[in-house]
Amino acid sequence: MGEAPVRIYHVSKSYMAGQYALHDISLEVSRGEFVFLTGASGAGKTTLLELIFAAEQPSEGQILVLGRNVARIGAGAIPALRRRVGVVFQDFKLLDDRTVEENVRLALDVVGTPRREARTRVFQLLKSVGLQHRRFHHPRSLSGGEQQRVALARALVNEPEILLADEPTGNLDPELTIEIMDLIMAAATRGTTVMVATHDHSLLERYGKRRLRLEGGRIVEDQPAANASIGANA
Amino acid sequence: MSRVLVLIRVAFANAFRGVREASTTSLLAVLTIAVVLMLVGAAVLLVENMAGILDDFGAELQLTAYLEEGLSEEEQARLREHVSAAPGVERVELISKEVALARFERIAGGSELLVGLESNPLPASLEIELRADARTADAIEILRESLDGLPGIAELAHGEEWIEGYARAVALVRGGAWGIGVVLGLAALLIVANTIRLAFYSRRDELDILGLVGASRTFVRVPFLLEGTLQGLLGGVAALLVLYGAYELILPQLRYGLELVVGRAELRFFTTGESLRLIASGAGLGLLGAMTALAGWRGEA
Repeated sequence: MGEAPVRIYHVSKSYMAGQYALHDISLEVSRGEFVFLTGASGAGKTTLLELIFAAEQPSEGQILVLGRNVARIGAGAIPALRRRVGVVFQDFKLLDDRTVEENVRLALDVVGTPRREARTRVFQLLKSVGLQHRRFHHPRSLSGGEQQRVALARALVNEPEILLADEPTGNLDPELTIEIMDLIMAAATRGTTVMVATHDHSLLERYGKRRLRLEGGRIVEDQPAANASIGANA
Repeated sequence: MSRVLVLIRVAFANAFRGVREASTTSLLAVLTIAVVLMLVGAAVLLVENMAGILDDFGAELQLTAYLEEGLSEEEQARLREHVSAAPGVERVELISKEVALARFERIAGGSELLVGLESNPLPASLEIELRADARTADAIEILRESLDGLPGIAELAHGEEWIEGYARAVALVRGGAWGIGVVLGLAALLIVANTIRLAFYSRRDELDILGLVGASRTFVRVPFLLEGTLQGLLGGVAALLVLYGAYELILPQLRYGLELVVGRAELRFFTTGESLRLIASGAGLGLLGAMTALAGWRGEA
């Protein structure tokens, strides 16, 4: 199966001396695995995701993402890593002055994908999330669910090995939530490693995937998909 | 199309989008560069035309070496050869006693003043024209020392004070233009840098998203650099057009005034090469401004 795409060893993150956003976290996420990160606001879910896509660097410990040590990665190497990691946020982070197609194509533009190839890939991705007919619309004219599907298409268009989602359904009603989660789940079934931060317990029950519960910056529960609870920091 | 070409196309598209979307701030940058280049361009034109006028006056500057009486034509010719080889000398003309008398009569409006004189009292002379680089007090002094006491030369007449004044005027105007150019250039640089910085911050969301999807530092920076260059280019063209319009508009009045005051009115505008340099200066200013704006940004999302 090869080495796990996400390996975290005794990682802590502190923004102020003595106050930890994350404290002594260790975990591994296997290739193609789906993991829910759960916990109350401020538990450290977002910080953990930020460390994985190198938006932050750990104060202590090592983080290996796709074989790169984020704790020691130089600024010049971050873009190459991020092209292999798709990210989705609660607030979609779409550009209102660009069409849906242009928003998704952004991820292809940065790697210099030829226009025709980019257009085809964007169309296929938008089709897979059911938005091909909206490709020339602007985000503001779309519903919240549609905007999140655009953000998801952008995160997936470069076929990332890891998909990180930070409260991707936080702004959506229950019906749209299931719609988005099914699309994210579909990415995992294609072999993408997926980590979703959520505090929506109904999702945890519905999908029954591995869940990591954080409290005060520590992992207090690591429950595998088989529903057999194991100890923290396993 | 290769990936590099795609990236170049995307960079240009993003730069044009930047100019279009931030049209007000872009216009401000273009206008700033245009105003600065107009002022600097006007100063350069002024200096060049003043220098041209002064050069013409300078060309009329000359030393006169009055020759002793009784020199034969051969001796005068030899003296002329000798003086021609002296430092800083452009040309030497031998004015014989007869020519000097004819000139005097022409200036005096007749020969009544010379009535009663038995012989021509005017001496033969050498009129020494100076090279442009020798129209300074120091150069004149060196020349004077090399000619003083030369057998055959009775007296050396020159206008050091006028020459020094001339050199000072040219240096002052040139120095002033440089000073104005540097101060205005720096001011423009800061304004353009701030304009680009504003554009940079107004597009912070876009830059964050680009960072998230793995855009390299170069991918993010290049459109801003192109944007600055483009603004500078437009500013340069605008400055050139306004300067040309103003030149055409005020030239007739200026020519009339100059003819009255200095009796000379050959003014000129920039040559094609100089015009292109002015536009290129605008582009360079815009690029430099953008580089200044981005200097502190290390490229993280």
